[in-house]
Amino acid sequence: MLSRVADSIYWMARYVERAENLSRLLLSTQDLLLDAGAEGVDEAQFWQPLLATTGDEDAYFGLHKKVKGKDVTDFLALRSDNPNSMLNSIRAARENARTVRDQISDEIWESLNSLRLFVESAEGKAMHRTQSAAFYERVLRGSYEFQGVADSTTPRGEIWYFLRVGTCLERADKVSRLLDTCSGLSLEMPPSPKARPLRWAALLRSCSAWHAFQTKCSKQDPAKIIEYLLLDETFPRSIAYCVAEAEGALQALCAGAGIQGMPPLLRHVGRLRADLAYTTVEEVLAIGLHEYIDALQTRLNQIGEAIFQTFVLHADLTLPAEEPVPEVVSIPGAYHAHADEDAQIQQQQQQQ
Amino acid sequence: MSSLFNDYQPESFFDEVFSQTRKARTHYGAMLDSVGSLTPSEYSARQKAVDAAFLRQGVTFTVYGDDQGTERIFPFDLMPRIIPQREWETVEAGLIQRITALNLFLNDVYHGQKIINDKAVPAELVLSASHYRPEFRGIKVPHGIYIHICGTDLVRDGKGDYYVLEDNGRCPSGASYMLENRNAMKRAFPGLLQSLPVRPVDAYGSMLRETLAHLAPDSVLDPVIVVLTPGIYNSAYFEHCYLAKQMGVPIVEGRDLIIRNDRVFMRTTKGLEQVHVIYRRIDDDFLDPQVFRKDSLLGVPGIINAYRKGNVALANSIGTGVADDKAVYALVPKMIKYYLDQDPILPNVPTHLGVEPKECEYILDNLDKLVVKAVNESGGYGMLMGPHASKKERAEFGERIKKNPRNYIAQPVLQLSRHPVFVDDHFEGRHIDLRPYVLCGDRVRVVPGGLTRVALKKGSLVVNSSQGGGSKDTWVLWDDPLDTPAETSPAA
Repeated sequence: MLSRVADSIYWMARYVERAENLSRLLLSTQDLLLDAGAEGVDEAQFWQPLLATTGDEDAYFGLHKKVKGKDVTDFLALRSDNPNSMLNSIRAARENARTVRDQISDEIWESLNSLRLFVESAEGKAMHRTQSAAFYERVLRGSYEFQGVADSTTPRGEIWYFLRVGTCLERADKVSRLLDTCSGLSLEMPPSPKARPLRWAALLRSCSAWHAFQTKCSKQDPAKIIEYLLLDETFPRSIAYCVAEAEGALQALCAGAGIQGMPPLLRHVGRLRADLAYTTVEEVLAIGLHEYIDALQTRLNQIGEAIFQTFVLHADLTLPAEEPVPEVVSIPGAYHAHADEDAQIQQQQQQQ
Repeated sequence: MSSLFNDYQPESFFDEVFSQTRKARTHYGAMLDSVGSLTPSEYSARQKAVDAAFLRQGVTFTVYGDDQGTERIFPFDLMPRIIPQREWETVEAGLIQRITALNLFLNDVYHGQKIINDKAVPAELVLSASHYRPEFRGIKVPHGIYIHICGTDLVRDGKGDYYVLEDNGRCPSGASYMLENRNAMKRAFPGLLQSLPVRPVDAYGSMLRETLAHLAPDSVLDPVIVVLTPGIYNSAYFEHCYLAKQMGVPIVEGRDLIIRNDRVFMRTTKGLEQVHVIYRRIDDDFLDPQVFRKDSLLGVPGIINAYRKGNVALANSIGTGVADDKAVYALVPKMIKYYLDQDPILPNVPTHLGVEPKECEYILDNLDKLVVKAVNESGGYGMLMGPHASKKERAEFGERIKKNPRNYIAQPVLQLSRHPVFVDDHFEGRHIDLRPYVLCGDRVRVVPGGLTRVALKKGSLVVNSSQGGGSKDTWVLWDDPLDTPAETSPAA
């Protein structure tokens, strides 16, 4: 498979997962606010953590002075000047799908193309204005459809493994950010009139974990919730589960590429998987949830970089040159929010 | 016949469906019965279903100058154009004759230049063509073929005679729409396709692949073929991707390719893999920043050396643009005579060359009657439609011609044939042309069909998609309906 195709498939899956997580986060925050509304709390304290989760506070405050629900939801959902908005994530997923259309099934392509047509449509924008929950649910369904057709139409080869790695790493990263928003909260569950205890329930909901957690633990103890989302080995959105899945897919990819021995990529992912398997929640809390997650995110990024090194950059070294090698114009990679304008113009200049 | 065609007027043009006396041509009989039996709203519903499917499937082109990356479907008119077998036989023979002569000409121009030395064509005219690449003289290309894929534009005049308008021997586009249009018709009018002996076009992908495989060195048993695209911002990106998928070969961008030891490789997750044949949809100028435009971001540094050494084949070859020069086009009948000793089966449109002083004078005196075209432009750009232009426009164009007469040619305004096109709730006549696709590998093959392009604007003679054109499916029949008289009379 072309290196660029691999990178595009990996990012296509990441962007879909990003849009899905954002939808669920917005949905659960709205619900939380409805529950807390009667208690007369400050709206901003619910919306501010969302900006922190997505890491876009600077961009937001470049546009708005205050944290207001409507501004935050617009910013995160439909603003095209927010590179991480749901709209831009879906666009990027779909653009990457477009660059690899010959490799993926028509069903995958049409599911992403339809989702993108919906979020760009006047109908989609109106729906976001008047019944935002329905809008977020439509995006969630679009992501489920993508995952469903990907699962049922993709042969278990390179394409599938790159899809899995992209989905799992993005999910692990997003769940870790969600956990981090609660790292400042007390671990006691006081029967307070304040909205804080609701935050833990909202956290579970934003990870689609509420029901699964309820069946496992009868009591909503914050430490148990942290343990579940971070270390559980059976729940498909827990970080430990996602990292183990990613490791399996990366092992298959390395074996398929004929990579000998233990490359740095497999060392990074294997070590993280083992740490998550043998760490207890008490150890995490002793280190501090925020500190632990900080380190975790660095290690997830390291894995992402190692994937690029191994499957995109490594190719050039496989055949030694006998003569001086012509200068490389640009390195092949996936589509991200901003295209190179010069290249864009030249692409359009070609005679038909 | 039903109401859908009751008010249809062929007017004074050659209409593909109806004679001057509003009699339906025989080969359209079955279709008129079927399409004509629909109500306007039924017809409209089928049209809308097809449009929605194109949008959902992304059968679209990118609109330039729009930073939202807006994509539009290429307007498609459901009523197909039908070409009877006998007519097609002539078209096919004419196209084969023409591409054979063009390839002999290109091979000659890039080697011995016999046709020039024998003064069968004027040397200055050929050698001054801006796409002539003298640095490629003497470079051998596989089997001496230069144009492997050709999309010749044909038109019919007021009498229904076919003419060649352009040859398009560089990177002709549109084949994917020919294939997708047929798929759309299968869904919109399944019964009709079944009842008529329509020749299939879906072998195009495998024919294209065979044509490209023919270019690989004989020593390579299983050649690696790729489609080289400028990228997703090119308006024809959908087509590049579609054709790659039809052929089952990778689609690559310049940055996916790398040169090692004068061979071309693609970067894969498993390391470098050698490429033998490239169907490139990038212009010569952008192919290699070490040889052509230094600022090219689309090309592959070093690819021309690999090409010169015969380590990779390009389709189409480099330098075919010399035959696309509209002044050189005027010489094709002479090429056919010189190389094949035949008369052209498909005539050229009479062409006046700006470079000939007497003809230039004629052009300048008759600007109001002629179509003037810049020799290297395409897509309907750089042209003057004399009769429709204002005095000021004509005067300005006249100045340009005087400054650089070599750059212009002029032709009489042909009254292109018309075809019924669905407008709102009824049919109206619109001008059309035909772009069939010719493939030149171990033999020359013409796909039985092509892209019928439609000038959707009322009265317009410009069919290019960049100028508001649309398209139709083109049905070539296996055999002609013989049991009916030449023309059937429509019911009152």
